[in-house]
Amino acid sequence: MHIPDLTLPTTLANILGKLPSTPPCWALVTTLNQLKKREILQVDMSLLSGHSFEVHILDADMRLHFVADDDHFSVGNNTTVPDLHLAANLADFARMMLREEDPDTLFFNRKLVIEGDTELGLIVKNLLDSVDWSATPLQRFMAV
Amino acid sequence: MKKLQLTLGPVLFYWSRDDILRFYSEAADWPLETIYLGEAVCSRRQQLRGQDWISLGQELAQNGHQVVLSSQALIESESDLRRLRKLVENDELQLEANDLGAARLAQQQGRPFVAGHHLNIYNADTLALIRSLGARRWIPPVEMDRDTLSAVLGQAAFNGVQIETELFAWGKLPLALSARCFTARHYNLSKDDCQFRCMEHPDGLRLNTREQQAFLTINGIQTMSDGCQSLLPHLADISAMGITALRISPQWQHTAQVVQGYQQAVDAIASRNANHVDLSPYSDSLLVDGYWRGSAGISAIGEPRHAHS
Amino acid sequence: MPATRPLPELVCPAGSLPALKAAVDNGADTVYLGLKNDTNARNFAGLNFDDRTARDGIHYAHQHGRKVLLAINTYAQGGDISRWHRAIDEGAALGVDAIILADIGLMKYARDRYPDLRLHMSVQSSATNYEAINLAQDMFDIRRAVLPRVLTLDQVKQVIDHTNVEIEVFGFGSLCVMVEGRCLLSSYATGESPNSHGVCSPAKFVRWEHGQQALGARLNGILIDEYQQGEAAGYPTLCKGRFEVEGDTYYALEEPTSLNVMSMLPQIIDIGVAAIKVEGRQRSPAYVAQVTRTLREALDAAGRDKQRFAVKPAWTQALSKLAEGQQQTLGAYNRPWK
Repeated sequence: MHIPDLTLPTTLANILGKLPSTPPCWALVTTLNQLKKREILQVDMSLLSGHSFEVHILDADMRLHFVADDDHFSVGNNTTVPDLHLAANLADFARMMLREEDPDTLFFNRKLVIEGDTELGLIVKNLLDSVDWSATPLQRFMAV
Repeated sequence: MKKLQLTLGPVLFYWSRDDILRFYSEAADWPLETIYLGEAVCSRRQQLRGQDWISLGQELAQNGHQVVLSSQALIESESDLRRLRKLVENDELQLEANDLGAARLAQQQGRPFVAGHHLNIYNADTLALIRSLGARRWIPPVEMDRDTLSAVLGQAAFNGVQIETELFAWGKLPLALSARCFTARHYNLSKDDCQFRCMEHPDGLRLNTREQQAFLTINGIQTMSDGCQSLLPHLADISAMGITALRISPQWQHTAQVVQGYQQAVDAIASRNANHVDLSPYSDSLLVDGYWRGSAGISAIGEPRHAHS
Repeated sequence: MPATRPLPELVCPAGSLPALKAAVDNGADTVYLGLKNDTNARNFAGLNFDDRTARDGIHYAHQHGRKVLLAINTYAQGGDISRWHRAIDEGAALGVDAIILADIGLMKYARDRYPDLRLHMSVQSSATNYEAINLAQDMFDIRRAVLPRVLTLDQVKQVIDHTNVEIEVFGFGSLCVMVEGRCLLSSYATGESPNSHGVCSPAKFVRWEHGQQALGARLNGILIDEYQQGEAAGYPTLCKGRFEVEGDTYYALEEPTSLNVMSMLPQIIDIGVAAIKVEGRQRSPAYVAQVTRTLREALDAAGRDKQRFAVKPAWTQALSKLAEGQQQTLGAYNRPWK
């Protein structure tokens, strides 16, 4: 599977940007908690606990805020400055998640913006890299 | 408790033959236990050749100094090894081994040696091993902090390992070695055709950040600190830890005053007097002691430990 | 010299179980990994292996007929070095094919405790000449040494000709311009170095500053570089920053560059290099897969016909995309670079 190098059209972004971000964010934290529960996401929560995160999908102008505590992830509020801010276009996020692209490569090319606590960013990156999708149906989508 | 001794490290910069000979004719009168001689940094620096260093060393030894020949730290080629063998094979002067290969050659000759800071001895087991090869003295890595050193020495003593310890007490810190020559790079020259530009910079080339913070020193293939390490504020503690000697690393100017200052400070401590020596006028860089305090090496004397969140 | 040499082993990095599987699946002969602590020189939060993932990874590699090396390549620090001893014990218990060690004191421990355990001398040992390597062979029976990235190809050959120890060289990855094991720039700026903490320019000291014009990269407050809009950014590794020397602002030590020896593979095979190592345990499974696949192809092509070996544009393209700074060099192997 190859993700085409597309940017979302501005009109679509305008619409997406105006939609409430809570449902996608709720979906994200629910997925994270499920993956964690099923031990696919082998995460040491002590490394993340107490931190807030923002995933900014640039071309959709969508910002997903979530927080971590000792046990699970939950939807965060978007009024505080997150400890870690990740921003990229949807296609680049998808490439990174499906391991078509190396996050470092995206970062070196300024396609992935990381702001805030750099070490926390590294922890998240390493966490995503360590997920063994071979135990899940998602495996067939993965480049690696 | 034995009084701390002072030693003069090898000249790490590239000085002309005349300047080197003048420097050591003056140093012959300074209160030094040991003088280290030789080219430890770059194989292309040949103002004095192996035999010249040995002859100079023999002269200084006749004046009552202990003389040790410092090996080159980065040994890459067969000609590097040939020069090293020449140093090891002289049977009067000992070697400071700045590479495991040098330690091996000294051991094969059955010669006691000084284990230089490049040997990366960070614990008592490794220290015992180097001792068993014939090291009579060691210089800890320059990044080692006081507490780690104290723990290593405590463990070594517990294990019955007897060896002298010498600390890098004064000078720009030798931090890194490379295959590449950064001085040649600065002048857009290749290393093989470097035109010996290092000689224009007898204290190295200052490297600043883009905000003009003095940061590092370029010295050919070596990268040094810009800050000048000074362990002067810690001499009472160092003395109590059972350290044998303090190394002063030569600089282009005022080395005599630095040695004199350290001697005064050592004398003051031996007689339990306060040490009021101020050596800051003799360095054109900030005085740093962060490494000793377990902080970043760049941390200046008196600066609080770097607190990062 | 024999007419045909066996192909050098392709040794690939794994910072996680998926990366290990990616290396094995894409043709690595050997994978190297580290434990989740400061006994290895890529001691980054969230990276590396615990007992369970190490066990799974070793099982996976062995099932596919590949080897696994455990890197314990920091210097054991201070009075209590039990952590390093435990790491060696754990490696022996896990059944790794060899342990890569930097500290000669640890080599002695490993040799005394586990006479049959294969030992490699890490690049962090800074062994650039055969006398240093032969010392470690005489004393601890090391079987392989990894050379620092400072020697020319002729110098590598000189080492190989004077030792029975197998020689491993770096083939691809971010280029460390300093002699490994002899660089304290990181601790000078932050207090933590590869030798002492298993990290270089550690992330917890990194701060990115997004200004009006430029992106600033600081390490413990020290400005390492600034990037203008659209300019490719690099991680603020100290030696790869832009600094000012006598009025010139430039990459005073080294550009962000990757080493790539692909064009030299025939010579590397000829002089008898035993193994080629890929740098990057900190990189993602995607990187490991792409680099391993490309080098496997190139190495096999060089093995089939050295005379007619030519680097394929597709290989160069695949690797340059992954390279730090997107520039590639033959490094010290090629004399003019020095």
